Amino acid sequence: MSNYNRRRFLKAGGALLAAGTLPISLVELAFGKDRKQNFTFAYVSDSHITHVRGKQFVRNWDRGLIRAVAETNLLDPKPDFIFYGGDIAQLGKPEEIDHGLEILSGLHGDVHYVMGEHDYYLDLGEHWRKRLGPDHYSFNHKGVHFVVLNSILTFDDWMYDKWSSGEERMGQMARLDNPQGSPFMVGEQQRAWLKKDLDAVSKDTPVVVFSHSPLQKIYQGWNFWTDDAEQVQALLKPFDKVTVLYGHVHQIQYNQIDNISFHAAMATAWPWPYPSSYRQQAAHVPKLTVDMNRADPFFERDATGWQFINLDTGNVDVSYVLPDNSNRVVAWSDAAGHPVDTRYQAEADRIPPQTHY
Amino acid sequence: MIRKLSLVCVLAGFTTGAIAAPLGLPPVPIPADNPQSAEKISLGDRLFNDTRFSADGKVSCATCHDPDKAFTDNLQVSKGFRGQTGTRNAPTVINSAYMKTTFWDGREPDLEGQSKQPPINPVEGGLPDHAPILAVIRKDPGYVQSFQAVFSVPASGITMDHVAKAIASFERTIVAGDSPFDRYYYGGDTTALSEAELRGLQVFVGQGRCVSCHRIEQTQALFTDNRFHNIGVGFGKIRGKEQETAAQFLQSKREGANVDIAVLTRENVSELGRFAVTDNVTEVGAFKTPTLRNIDKTAPYMHDGSLGTLEDVVDFYNNGGRVKDSDPVSGFLSGGIRPLDLTAEQKSDLVAFMQALTSPGLDQLARTGESNHE
Amino acid sequence: MPYKNSLKIISRMVLAACVGTSMPVLSDKFSQEDLDRWQQEFQSVVERGENLFHGGLQSRNTVSCDQCHPNGANTHPETYPKFQQQLGRVAALRDMINWCIQNPLESDPLGLDDPDMIALEAYITQERRGVELTPGRH
Repeated sequence: MSNYNRRRFLKAGGALLAAGTLPISLVELAFGKDRKQNFTFAYVSDSHITHVRGKQFVRNWDRGLIRAVAETNLLDPKPDFIFYGGDIAQLGKPEEIDHGLEILSGLHGDVHYVMGEHDYYLDLGEHWRKRLGPDHYSFNHKGVHFVVLNSILTFDDWMYDKWSSGEERMGQMARLDNPQGSPFMVGEQQRAWLKKDLDAVSKDTPVVVFSHSPLQKIYQGWNFWTDDAEQVQALLKPFDKVTVLYGHVHQIQYNQIDNISFHAAMATAWPWPYPSSYRQQAAHVPKLTVDMNRADPFFERDATGWQFINLDTGNVDVSYVLPDNSNRVVAWSDAAGHPVDTRYQAEADRIPPQTHY
Repeated sequence: MIRKLSLVCVLAGFTTGAIAAPLGLPPVPIPADNPQSAEKISLGDRLFNDTRFSADGKVSCATCHDPDKAFTDNLQVSKGFRGQTGTRNAPTVINSAYMKTTFWDGREPDLEGQSKQPPINPVEGGLPDHAPILAVIRKDPGYVQSFQAVFSVPASGITMDHVAKAIASFERTIVAGDSPFDRYYYGGDTTALSEAELRGLQVFVGQGRCVSCHRIEQTQALFTDNRFHNIGVGFGKIRGKEQETAAQFLQSKREGANVDIAVLTRENVSELGRFAVTDNVTEVGAFKTPTLRNIDKTAPYMHDGSLGTLEDVVDFYNNGGRVKDSDPVSGFLSGGIRPLDLTAEQKSDLVAFMQALTSPGLDQLARTGESNHE
Repeated sequence: MPYKNSLKIISRMVLAACVGTSMPVLSDKFSQEDLDRWQQEFQSVVERGENLFHGGLQSRNTVSCDQCHPNGANTHPETYPKFQQQLGRVAALRDMINWCIQNPLESDPLGLDDPDMIALEAYITQERRGVELTPGRH
């Protein structure tokens, strides 16, 4: 139906991006004749709201989320809903989650939430669930099946036996490069739920899965990793069009494994280096990925951002909204059979800030 | 004396792609398709000062960029024909040769593009189009002779591109460095700055975080990054109305509205800043970083001229992009802006430092081109 | 003269004996044991730096270095000195460490010879070992 329209969108988007602009006024062009079935949604992630003392929170991270909310509200046309990709909080404190949700309440539209490890390991998600409900669920919207998983669980002995308090456990999990860390996983129980959930969905229905950690193995040292990723991928295998959207990594990543497209979200808080730039260990950053720009830390929003997504073709096209940088669009390519950056994919088109080392 | 030396350098470099510049500044970049010449500069000077290029015959470039006022008008917002006011403060022409874009929102890429807009803006020159300008020029024997000499065109062949090129060439000679700061930092004169100015320099590159946008480098200082930032100025005017303002503007742009006219005649639209040019939501309320050279002479400040003194400006930054520290913070605020916790002494030192960025002989620079370029 | 020469010979013999019996020795001679111990000394400072880097450093807003730089990544110690526009000049690694302490961490800078500063440099550099020096690179 909408290949023609999608191409128009890409073309228009590409031309506009060349002038350093976001095609928000042209998103409309992406919608085909059957307008009812076409939609966009916004995707905000990783705010890491940090309580300092009393009523004080780390200003930098607050401002990142506030700005993403302000910008998201300018989308024209309006997104059907907003996804929040996890890690509202830094240390899982109720005041952090509450403060983050207060900022997010400024969004005009319904928000669906994903659990992040920073929301979880203090009280095993108790306050988060009290405010936001279940941590795994699914729903259908305009012919697309959306699934949310809690992918940041880990082994029981690490979770329950190793630490003297929730604070200690949270502090350990909050350290990304922690040699005492433990790998994330979806776990047997959720995988069984997922199997049952997907059994009821016809295989030509586009499926979009949200997780906090990547449902693929990139670098275990920083937990850019989900231990049972292959088992989850196997459950998604029967579907024609599957996309996994994840947070956690604070950087642009995209990949294609068999029938599954993967896209990561930028953080609103701060960017993380690519694991390949840590020279003492090997990592598996997807070769497909054209890296985000390196940041100038003076501009606190540099290399942070948020995204909006259209599912016009049943595959996901991600528009990255990047303060202090040109916005980027990573879109499904029928010809390539995987997502491509609409401007920078070819080696020759890349720019110096995309070189991470 | 020093100023004269720098002028000699400027003239000596006419035939090259870039011309030499005073202490603290890089060579002036000259576009390949608009090389400098003494005659072209002189022609540009006359055009710059010609009030006939406006609806009431009283407004020239120099009306808002007055050589006697450091090439500004020292007004909050500029006055066009019949005293009409726009929404923006007139930036100085001095050192505009180094700008990567022109206007506060960068809507024209170069000086050649810039000078074509004000004469036909309804609150500036007020002309319906460029035809009346060309009509005046083609009937003026002095102009006809000069355009023939400079561009080898007959009267009938004179276009607005020629006019804009001559004006841009003139503007590229309005460069000024060699301030006390330059003599201290680049000239090795350890006595050029006072104690307070030196302390101010430390605030400027340290706690004040000024240098990240108003750049100083090892061998030169443009005092701008040529980028666009939302520093919170004007936020009060569209607070709570950002969405409707942006949506209405985008709609009228889709219907063909002229950006130059919209931003100067509609205050809400003006506050959208760079967004009005790019439609990019990350640039709402973002304006171009102005140079700080000669800043003491170019009050009032900011894109809307809303801050009267350098003290006001320092307070504004010290409050994290707010006039009062009890004011709300813009959601679109640039990530570089946050409260600075400067003491009263640090603030006054910072002002003293900015006052040390004034070039000598600005009044001489202000003299019309003929006498300068003989 | 012969007397002097024989003194020289004797003193050389004594030195040779010292080396042979591993008694305190000339400054240009050291053993594997020394190398190991010095490495341990260095490592102790690296560990101190690792601790400071991961929240041990006094930080007014609780932000720590590792939040943006896991394993010290993206600090590029091999590229210093280099031009830093946040400082408006060519700067050393420790100048940028202080910039980060003052800005993202909103805290007071360390003295340039503060043992904590040396420790932070030791950790950052150790995590970047083996990478070619490229001063000035961005």
